[in-house]
Amino acid sequence: MSPLEIGLLIALVTIVLLGTGMSIAFGLGFVALAFLVGFQGIDSLGIMAEKFFGGIASFALVSLPMFILMGAVVASSPAGRDLYIALDRWLHRVPGGLVAANLGACSIFAALSGSSPATCAAIGKMGIPEMRKRGVPADLATGSIAAGGTLGILIPPSITMIVYGVATETSIGRLFLAGVVPGIMLTALFIAWTLFIAWRRGWHFSDVTQNFTWRERLEVLPRVLPLLAIIVGILYVLYGGVATPSEAAGVGAMLCLVLVVVIYRMWHAPQIMQIFRETTRESVMIMMIIAASELFSYMMSSLYVTQAIAETIAALDINRWLLMGLINLFLLVAGMFLPPVAIILMTAPILLPIVTSAGFDPYWFAVILTINMEIGLITPPVGLNLFVINGIAPDVKLPTILKGALPFVLLMVLGMVILSFFPGIATGLPDMLLGPATGH
Amino acid sequence: MDTFILLVRRVSQACGIAAAGLLAAATVVVCQMVVMRYFLGASTVWQTEFVIYAIVASTFIGAPYVLLHKGHVNVDLVPLYVKHRTRLVLALIGSLASLVFCLVVAWFSAEYLHEAWAGGWRTETVWALPLWIPLLSLPIGMSLLSLQYIADILCLITGREAPFGMDPEDAE
Repeated sequence: MSPLEIGLLIALVTIVLLGTGMSIAFGLGFVALAFLVGFQGIDSLGIMAEKFFGGIASFALVSLPMFILMGAVVASSPAGRDLYIALDRWLHRVPGGLVAANLGACSIFAALSGSSPATCAAIGKMGIPEMRKRGVPADLATGSIAAGGTLGILIPPSITMIVYGVATETSIGRLFLAGVVPGIMLTALFIAWTLFIAWRRGWHFSDVTQNFTWRERLEVLPRVLPLLAIIVGILYVLYGGVATPSEAAGVGAMLCLVLVVVIYRMWHAPQIMQIFRETTRESVMIMMIIAASELFSYMMSSLYVTQAIAETIAALDINRWLLMGLINLFLLVAGMFLPPVAIILMTAPILLPIVTSAGFDPYWFAVILTINMEIGLITPPVGLNLFVINGIAPDVKLPTILKGALPFVLLMVLGMVILSFFPGIATGLPDMLLGPATGH
Repeated sequence: MDTFILLVRRVSQACGIAAAGLLAAATVVVCQMVVMRYFLGASTVWQTEFVIYAIVASTFIGAPYVLLHKGHVNVDLVPLYVKHRTRLVLALIGSLASLVFCLVVAWFSAEYLHEAWAGGWRTETVWALPLWIPLLSLPIGMSLLSLQYIADILCLITGREAPFGMDPEDAE
């Protein structure tokens, strides 16, 4: 069998096995094991324990549980609600301030949590009922939050960016910075679209009669500003080269923990236990997938599948943008079925050499890949955010949420097109702050 | 059999506490390291490695706990659309394949651990931690994970638990 045929067989077996609904981590591990034994004999397994262990024994990966902890701390506190209230009180005079408050709160919360479903849930719980109460149609209210929530994995800190950085040996700090401007751009696109549709359906911005006193505006700040300070602090520490992402994440998590204890008085043991329980589950789940995909990619490269795919594609000599289009199509389809972390780990080691040899920037590609993954979070059949929204707004039917979310899929595609014409949107900030990328 | 299943569940639950403890310890040590390095200007010897291995151990030891709570993410699209019986078969195939994988890793990691122990391997840093200490978490975690899978499979076969936790009445 040629390496390419083996690759096809691997893809087939993986799809079938994961289709049975078995856990992704052990599914990947099992495929790796089966193919190693099948093609290289039982002796090839000698190295597997070392690979499995070594796959997650890295200081860069420490940032992952730390950021998950930080997200869990913030998500378990009413910080999402307060963030929303603060933005609403400050923005309510601005036309469409309500929508801007919601999507803005999404992007800021994304910066605190690094997780899309968490962002959706935290802002949506308060934001969706409030928007509907003030006349925003149900599909628009739910769709915009579903889409706004996806920003969680683009705006730093982002779990998927960390995983990409580890899988491709690129700088996590630089990846984080690359996500900032595209994240803001998408937020702006989302806001503009929501306002446009609301306006076209006859929703008058002047209908908002509620008024807030300065007192009301100021009283919410002490609960919100410290969290914003932590975000700014983390970004400063990262781009200033002061500390590594793992150190920034650890301190950030600790500071958030202290903050919620002080501000929200969450000092009861059960509350803290709950935070650590959730962090452990999320962290173990992701780290297990990482360890297993280390085996998976080891198997792929020791059977020369990775190399064969890269060589074949290079030999095709197709237009680089056509190539990028095809890669995007593949990522989109994969994103509809698999969680982002699994896709990145399985495909990034194969895709990155192809992408960089076609002359694309690896940090720009990380942003494109992440936006693809975002789309997968709000498209059927397994769009996680859709189900989260369905959970917090049970009276809105799933098809309605879906209908509301679909235009945002197109906006994300538009975002990718804009990024393709102006790659500087992604690479500009890291280049400016850290100097041009080296290595790749 | 109930005793066995209950016992395994207790152990997995305890694993969760251990994993969370390791994670908390890692967080504290990262902060301690930052304070030492950036505020006191002192050099740090053991912190980086401690943190790495605490997270690794937390992952392996925490795995059975996460399995107990069905937390290892999967794609349950197909199981959602098939009959109860097919669902059961799918769940069994998946669990058995996972069990095989866990047992194999447990076996080879035990071998690896033995080599590290017998060879007196140490990490290549100033701290020079004996490698068997962090390695210990891998065979322990994978063995306990295998036990939890065996308990899960028993629950599936004897009908104690519905496959994928889906209500049999839901099936189309």
